[in-house]
Amino acid sequence: MPAPALSATSPVEGLRRRRLGFLEVLAQSVAVLAPTAALVTVPALVVAAGGSLAVPAFAGAALLVVLVAWCVRHAARRMAAVGGVYSYCARGLGPVPGVVCGWALVVAYAALAVSSCTGAALYAVALLAPGHHPAAVALGAVLVAAGAGLVTARGVQLSARLVLALEAVSLTLVLVLLGALVLRGGTPAEGARPTGAVLVDAVPSPGGAALAVLLAVTAFVGFESSSVLGVESRRPLLYVPRAVLWTPAVGGVVLLLGASAQVVLLREAPLEVLLSGAPLDGLVRAEAGGPLPALLDAAAAAAFVACAGGSVTALVRVLFSMGREGVLPRTLGEVRESTGTPVRALLVTLPLVALVPAVALLAGAAPRAVLSGAVTVAAFGSLLAYALVSASAPVLLHRIGELTPAALLGGVVASASCTALLVVAAVAGPWAGGQSLALVFAALMVPGLLRVVWLRRRHPERLARAGVYDEPTRRSVLRAEP
Amino acid sequence: MSDRGLTGRQPGAVQNALAVLEAVSHAGAGVSAREVGELVGLPPATTYRLLNLLVGEEYLVRMPDLRGFALGRKAAGLAGGAPEPRLSRAAKEELGRLRGALRVGVHLVVFGPTSLHCADVDPELPLRDPYLLERHLHAGAAGRLLLADQPDWREVHPPSRLVRLTAETPVRPHQLQARLDETAERGWAAQAGEVHDDVACLAAPVRGADGALVGAVLLTGPRQRPPLEHLPAARGCAAALEPLLA
Repeated sequence: MPAPALSATSPVEGLRRRRLGFLEVLAQSVAVLAPTAALVTVPALVVAAGGSLAVPAFAGAALLVVLVAWCVRHAARRMAAVGGVYSYCARGLGPVPGVVCGWALVVAYAALAVSSCTGAALYAVALLAPGHHPAAVALGAVLVAAGAGLVTARGVQLSARLVLALEAVSLTLVLVLLGALVLRGGTPAEGARPTGAVLVDAVPSPGGAALAVLLAVTAFVGFESSSVLGVESRRPLLYVPRAVLWTPAVGGVVLLLGASAQVVLLREAPLEVLLSGAPLDGLVRAEAGGPLPALLDAAAAAAFVACAGGSVTALVRVLFSMGREGVLPRTLGEVRESTGTPVRALLVTLPLVALVPAVALLAGAAPRAVLSGAVTVAAFGSLLAYALVSASAPVLLHRIGELTPAALLGGVVASASCTALLVVAAVAGPWAGGQSLALVFAALMVPGLLRVVWLRRRHPERLARAGVYDEPTRRSVLRAEP
Repeated sequence: MSDRGLTGRQPGAVQNALAVLEAVSHAGAGVSAREVGELVGLPPATTYRLLNLLVGEEYLVRMPDLRGFALGRKAAGLAGGAPEPRLSRAAKEELGRLRGALRVGVHLVVFGPTSLHCADVDPELPLRDPYLLERHLHAGAAGRLLLADQPDWREVHPPSRLVRLTAETPVRPHQLQARLDETAERGWAAQAGEVHDDVACLAAPVRGADGALVGAVLLTGPRQRPPLEHLPAARGCAAALEPLLA
């Protein structure tokens, strides 16, 4: 069998190759999953929707996400890509579903960046100047976005290390805090005031249970983002699949523990704490004095900053990959030589990431509404991408002649579950204004879909290049030359 | 499922992995996973797992079509050090001409996939310690050419081997990285006082037609700065040596 031709350079030349160790690759996924940020926002929403099934809903969501991760891992062990899940999908299902998946990821990462900039500003302002300051939060969001952009521009290694440190600090803080609260025991609500038990012990309707699983899945969004570091990690085919599988597995355990602790605490706390939108903050402020509330704010702010950095890193790499292929304008594929950063993609996206929350906040939107709205949009994008990439894994394996029955089954189950959740989310969600946000997501998908149609008509050759990955060059092969 | 499939307690797995490596080596670049499975006689899932493991560790590489496999450069490291040099008369004459023209030591270094060997040392102005250059790739100019050519220098020369030979030797990974980046960018390497306090050197690479690094012309002198004024001469000699070595 003749060996296929090897080229002298890889199609993704220009990025800083092979710099990141396993911890730094892992940090990318952990930061965007942001267990701390998820712990302070998601469990209360799940409790409100799923009642007594809140913790099982988390377990179910964790199982589903680990299954998706297992599917992503098949591709991640076989190709080192900059587009991450987008590239895997394009190589498996073909360019059109691939670019749809890629655009959904772009929307998701951009929305995550928006939400985490808002979240970081919100908690930082709460830490520094308690009270209601929408203008300060807007300014803070711009500053966080600018800071994330600056660090990302300085090179992937610096941002990965920073994100790792922030995430480690914030996760430790929140786990210590929750542990302290549970050990101290909640102070029961006085007199006849209703407690959270009304909701926590409620038996949910089937729709409510589905919604709870869906909300719990949002806590895991971003676990796949280390797949964009395929070129920059030292042993991509080893580190990336490991990070992609470990992040939701370990994150799932942490989230389950955190959610269980919150359920215990919320059952005894006054009902209005649960309904306040930020019950963990309420719990801490109501039941613990001293430095604990400030500690929570600091931890959450750090986690959101890390998440902003991670989301921007992932976003610009997907855009870079699309630019290199010609799926998007080629200028997005330009790299700054001194740092190996896709600087053009960064310059295009950063103003959007900074201005969207700032404008929304200054126009009078509540910071928490911006935060949860953006997370919801990100969840739609991610679920669509997960459904597509899970379906693509068995196809890719079949194409290269390495399909096993287990991989086929896993892909079908994961893809079908994600599709079902997506449908539930789109049609059955009184979920933080779920209906309208589904429309927002659909509107955001339109430019990507139009681009696909245009490319198919005018430049099918560019579309066919979708999903470039780091190919072995002549130098990496022994005795391949005739 | 564990990624650490190979532990000392699983001799069968080690044997199977080596059998897979051997099968790819015999079948040649481009062999598919199914073919490897048939050659080795292992069930498909086991074969795929072992292949992915060996690709992850970079003993094998996946070809651009994602179907085929070939031996990776790390497999070359298993075979041992630099090739035993057998210099042709023409190559020796080329070095002799440069030695006649310059007042610095002129040496020839040849590279294996992950090692270097001082193939021809200047008899008049010899290297003070060829062994140091061969062992401490991070310090000498020739070693840096080799490291700068690697996808990841840490695989060839782990950071634990960044030994301090003089006060100037780079002993931290980022220091070495900066020097390697510089080397890769300008295409030649130089250092002063990083191997011996009072010796500076300059290395110009000899590359094969496909760009592979095969050797280097190394100039050394007892001075504080690399002999940059001889760079054109060294590169000329390297170019002349290309058809004789590659």
